[in-house]
Amino acid sequence: MAMPKLSTSNLGKVFRKGDLVTEALRDVSIGVNAGEFVGVVGASGCGKTTLLRLIDGLIEPTTGTVTVDGQRIDKPGDKIAFVFQQDSLLPWRNVLDNTVFGPEIKGREMAAARGVAREFLHLVGLRGFDRHYPHELSGGMRQRVNLARALTVGADILLMDEPFAALDAQTREIMQAELLRIWRETGKTVILVTHQIDEAVYLSDRVLIFTVRPGRLKEELAIDLPRPRDLAIKRTAEFVRYADRIWRAIEQEVRDSIGREASAFADAEE
Amino acid sequence: MSPNVLRWSASLFVAAALWELCARAIDNMLFLAPLTAVVLRFGELWASGELQTHIWVSLIEFAGGFLLSAVVGILFGVVMAASISVRGLFDPWVSMLYATPVIALGPLFILWLGIGVPSKIAIVFLTAVFPILINTVTGLTTTDRNLLDVARSLGATPAQIYRKVRLPAALPFIIAGLRLGVARALVGVVVAELFGARAGLGFLILSAAQSFDTAGLFVGVLILAVAGVVSVEALKWLETRLAPWRFQDEEP
Repeated sequence: MAMPKLSTSNLGKVFRKGDLVTEALRDVSIGVNAGEFVGVVGASGCGKTTLLRLIDGLIEPTTGTVTVDGQRIDKPGDKIAFVFQQDSLLPWRNVLDNTVFGPEIKGREMAAARGVAREFLHLVGLRGFDRHYPHELSGGMRQRVNLARALTVGADILLMDEPFAALDAQTREIMQAELLRIWRETGKTVILVTHQIDEAVYLSDRVLIFTVRPGRLKEELAIDLPRPRDLAIKRTAEFVRYADRIWRAIEQEVRDSIGREASAFADAEE
Repeated sequence: MSPNVLRWSASLFVAAALWELCARAIDNMLFLAPLTAVVLRFGELWASGELQTHIWVSLIEFAGGFLLSAVVGILFGVVMAASISVRGLFDPWVSMLYATPVIALGPLFILWLGIGVPSKIAIVFLTAVFPILINTVTGLTTTDRNLLDVARSLGATPAQIYRKVRLPAALPFIIAGLRLGVARALVGVVVAELFGARAGLGFLILSAAQSFDTAGLFVGVLILAVAGVVSVEALKWLETRLAPWRFQDEEP
């Protein structure tokens, strides 16, 4: 079998802040194949975001390694692009200038980079908005720019951290379908973190289910639904079975985490 | 003409009319000079060339002190933002001097620097520099973490992050600091001149008051009011041009 595009081995992260020691992630070993779409789900506090930040090289692992194409990742580089949650656009730059931020940082030739950026803006469905500023765009449009910016980097791997969490339900559904189309057209390898089970099932080839504190890989679930998938697939019995299975795996922890948040809230109120 | 300009004009016109009516009803030039008398006095002072001298002197003091405070405030703010240890050294001084009414030091500056322009520039500088300095530090040290992550994820060097993210993100803060500083600088000019001066709008106000020339006093006050409105509005306009995203909620 071919070597995976991206792999982690025994990846772990412990955060220390004064006396407070938090083990966010423990012993995570995963492999992702080229062109694969992998979803990561788990209750809040399962270290999903930490996992993505480790893979990108934004933070250093306490234990273990991240490898892409056989090379170890220890700082952000050209191989991976990150799609952050909403509001990570530079508010003083227009859509086009935000989209070419990656090539600009790397000192590439700007005229060519703008051409590439425009192509990706068209691909994500933003034609004629080059000169608009982020505050003039809706949440869904801003997220499209975020995606175009990551694509313009030219990396093979896209890491997406709850990219649609801040959107309303209808916009989110449309963006999910759009993301599948773009993924099909660009052939990227995608790891998408989400707290929405149906989003993970709808998009992914494989879903990784994480447990909380410390975050560990609990279960992997291959999603054998036919592609291309349209939104109607969410109402099929097979789809619901997958979603149920994931929900049962994390249900208790989600309830616990709600309880934790509620008690933390009560503590803060006192 | 926008409705706002109409409201402005109407408001100013009503105030002017009320002033004129009240002054005529009171009929005591010493207590309250009517607007028409102020305008006449303005003409006299202008014709004699005296007013131009006062305006010029105050303008020099204001511009000199404010420019100095802008340059020092921004540069020193950049230094303080760059290093936690530098901040630790200077924070207590900044807080102390910001909270102290610097104007109380006015007589001291006249003692040190004389009655002329330099002592006024020093007072204007000290009144205006702290809001500029503090806003610069705040702007540079409170950059949105998400934006820093974006730049780092794209492989930006610390220098690039500074130039392309932290500095532009701080710009609106710095302009807001300048706006606060400009208002304080104007107050600084007048009060500095009240302590002792040979010319300037503050001097005009003081000497008019001492010679029971209420109309002349209002000439000085009105010129300062106009200068204040113009400079603050100019910086507000600059703010909305440089950082339109911060004002989107205030639009009707």
